[in-house]
Amino acid sequence: MKPSMGNRKKTKSMFGLIAVMVGFLILPGFLSEGWISLVNEMLILALAACGLNLMLGYAGMVSFGPAGFYAVGAYATALILIDTNLPFALAFAAGPLVAAASAVLIGWFCVRLTQVYFALLTLAFAQIIHTIIFEWYAFTRGDNGIVDIPIPQMLKSITHYYYFSFFIIILCLALLWLIIKSPFGKTLQAMRENAQRAESIGINVRLYQLSTFVLSGFFLGVAGSLFCGFNKNVFPNYAHWIKSTEMLVVCLLGGIYNFFGPIVGSIVYLFLDKVITGYTQFWPLVLGLIIILLLLFLRGGIAGFIAERMALRRRRGEQA
Amino acid sequence: MFRVEKLIKSFGGLMAVTQVSFTLKKGEISSIIGPNGAGKTTLFNILTGHLKPDSGAVYFKDQEITGLSPHRICRTGIGRSFQKTNIFPRLTAFDNVQVALMAWQKRTRNIFQKADHFYQKETDEILGSLGLGDQKDRLAGLLAHGDQRLLEIGITLGTFPEFILLDEPTAGMSPEESHKTMELIQQIVRSRNLTLLFIEHDMNIVFGISEKVRVMHFGSIIAEGTPEAIRANDQVQKIYLAEEV
Amino acid sequence: MDPFWETLERNSKHMNLQGIIIQILSGISTGMVIFLIAVGLSLVFGTLRILNLAHGTLYMMGAYLCYWVSSVLTSFGGAFWWSLLLAPIGVAIFGGLIEVILLRRIYDREHLDQYLLTFALVLVIGDLCKLAWGVEYHLVTTPWPFQGPVFVMGMPFPSYNVFLIACGPVIFIGLWALIHYTRLGKVIRAMTYNREMANALGTNVPRAYTVVFMLGCWLAGLGGTLVVPTASAMPGMDMIVLIECFIIIVIGGLGSLSGAFLGSLIFGLVNAFGILVAPRLAVAFAFILMIVILIIRPWGLMGEPE
Repeated sequence: MKPSMGNRKKTKSMFGLIAVMVGFLILPGFLSEGWISLVNEMLILALAACGLNLMLGYAGMVSFGPAGFYAVGAYATALILIDTNLPFALAFAAGPLVAAASAVLIGWFCVRLTQVYFALLTLAFAQIIHTIIFEWYAFTRGDNGIVDIPIPQMLKSITHYYYFSFFIIILCLALLWLIIKSPFGKTLQAMRENAQRAESIGINVRLYQLSTFVLSGFFLGVAGSLFCGFNKNVFPNYAHWIKSTEMLVVCLLGGIYNFFGPIVGSIVYLFLDKVITGYTQFWPLVLGLIIILLLLFLRGGIAGFIAERMALRRRRGEQA
Repeated sequence: MFRVEKLIKSFGGLMAVTQVSFTLKKGEISSIIGPNGAGKTTLFNILTGHLKPDSGAVYFKDQEITGLSPHRICRTGIGRSFQKTNIFPRLTAFDNVQVALMAWQKRTRNIFQKADHFYQKETDEILGSLGLGDQKDRLAGLLAHGDQRLLEIGITLGTFPEFILLDEPTAGMSPEESHKTMELIQQIVRSRNLTLLFIEHDMNIVFGISEKVRVMHFGSIIAEGTPEAIRANDQVQKIYLAEEV
Repeated sequence: MDPFWETLERNSKHMNLQGIIIQILSGISTGMVIFLIAVGLSLVFGTLRILNLAHGTLYMMGAYLCYWVSSVLTSFGGAFWWSLLLAPIGVAIFGGLIEVILLRRIYDREHLDQYLLTFALVLVIGDLCKLAWGVEYHLVTTPWPFQGPVFVMGMPFPSYNVFLIACGPVIFIGLWALIHYTRLGKVIRAMTYNREMANALGTNVPRAYTVVFMLGCWLAGLGGTLVVPTASAMPGMDMIVLIECFIIIVIGGLGSLSGAFLGSLIFGLVNAFGILVAPRLAVAFAFILMIVILIIRPWGLMGEPE
């Protein structure tokens, strides 16, 4: 009885997933360029949030500085495109690689501490990245940012870039899914649940935390590079703590204990952002109130809430 | 097989462990008893690498393991459970034990395969031997207290230790539960040919299965012997009597 | 030449003795004001174990309230001094309400939830301030009798800043006396040391939490009020000061009074030194110091390892 029900659930999920993906693929046929742009932005933010969530929801490491690696990825790509003649593919690949490399260095310092101190240290490093970008005028163009970044002719149209982003993002999400379902992923969750116990069953917690930090940095770097090509500009505020908090809020909004949580969160967040800033300049006030309500009443985030409802309905279905 | 020599550990001015030495043979089942604050858990923490002793040495199979980090000590074949239930609450009971198995088999670095089917047989076997087989898909945090203590031991068994230290395995259990649990433990230990050292607060539980008993008081071992000898020991009686008063 | 090196060369010409002394005094006065704010944050963290991200925003609220009270009372003399009395109390009351209505629900939650809730408060309170007082900078004139400069080795130094330098030790002594000689202080020490014990000893922990939180808010409001004559009330001042406070309590030690004082002093001086030597990177100096401390002595100079 049980195995066949499990399979049925699996095939239903597969169909659902494929339907959603097809939906995203045919979207440009129905939407104006403005909306396609928005969806593109949502997907990029979703990737960044999922990268952060690898640390946050799965390994239980609260970081205040994910935007640092996002900015490093964006700037690496931007600088290569604007200062050298190297091909786009190389510039694009450089983003996540440089981000991951900086994550190795920064992570090495950060994982020696836990909880509050870890969070504060990640914040400090992100702010240092911001300051370096802001002040090192000769290299990064400082607070002017880098504008009119050249990208290949083929990617210049909004629709083409959308498909490019979509492809890269789906690839990355698939990788993240693999990582989470693997023994490594389970180990991270064990670490999150009880780091001391994990240590005592033979897991070198510090090493795994560093690995998670680097993987997270890598995916944040991909998101940064994607946004660089999307926006064709990069600015120092990509590394600002406001951007970091945006990513944290997106994760919370969607639900950090659910793989799709950050994706849902980013769609809802950017949608609300665009809608509400159309009516009032007090978007932070509304966002703040939403966060408070979420924290008090909807603790699993939106995705968590939906998952709970589905589980409840399934249980009722089984009893009937 | 396991040798402890002149361990000393103090916190500030407080001597938690004073000149503790003892030896364990392979396959031996022994226990450490003593009133609260005698230093038993501190001793365990030193043995499993969670604390570094001020001086003294610990040897396992003639290799010195003093001061190694907990995950290294686990790799040498020593397993430990904790006094306060130390499980992974939001993982299923199955995952709790499976993660230990994967850690032991060094599979945790694997990021390319689905984890679900790794070591399924071995995990089921451990859960079964503890009577938790039918609860394997329940979240560990939702299990009954007694079952959580058993799961705690299950996690320890997942790393295939040769020597296990159990810190008050029956803490918080009713007398019947405690008895059943100790029988279960005895069964597992015998069937896997393990060496067992456990801390217990209640002398009655100890007498059932312990071959040798060591009594700790104010950080040092004040008596060592068979359960009957300890029961008849005046000094030990005084300590426990004083505690009851 | 690269602009960076040009500025460095230009600044080194200012490094005569008087210039340095003025900078040091300036750094100390910055430090003393930040001490007031940092100590509130540290106190709240030490006893309630919550890192209140909205602490900077409460400081900002204090600044705005100071401006508001001063502008309402301009006809009366000594308007600023009235704000000094009233604004911090206003912030404390507001803080008390927040504690009772919101914070109480999340004390036993995970850290992430607590950070996000206090961050939400940053957004809400920040925008409320914007709603009430707009986005322009609001200044308050330096109050009598501190309107002129004093002269240090022939160079002018604002007398108001001397007043600020004096405030630091006064508050430090006041808090020290509070913690060591009053019943509230005993409760604070008990809670910092061991929350469960304090509860078991019959302290009304929920009420004590509220009082301590209000004290922290009062200190933040006080800092905000004192700062307005020199720096004006403006949006964004909350996060700048918050990050500075983080640096200080990490350097000095979370939950330590003397640590906050020492940390603030060091911060003020490092900042002043940074401005002298490399003004554009001055911001980074303090961060680097924080990183160094977090790595070699994470519990701060005066803190204790947990």
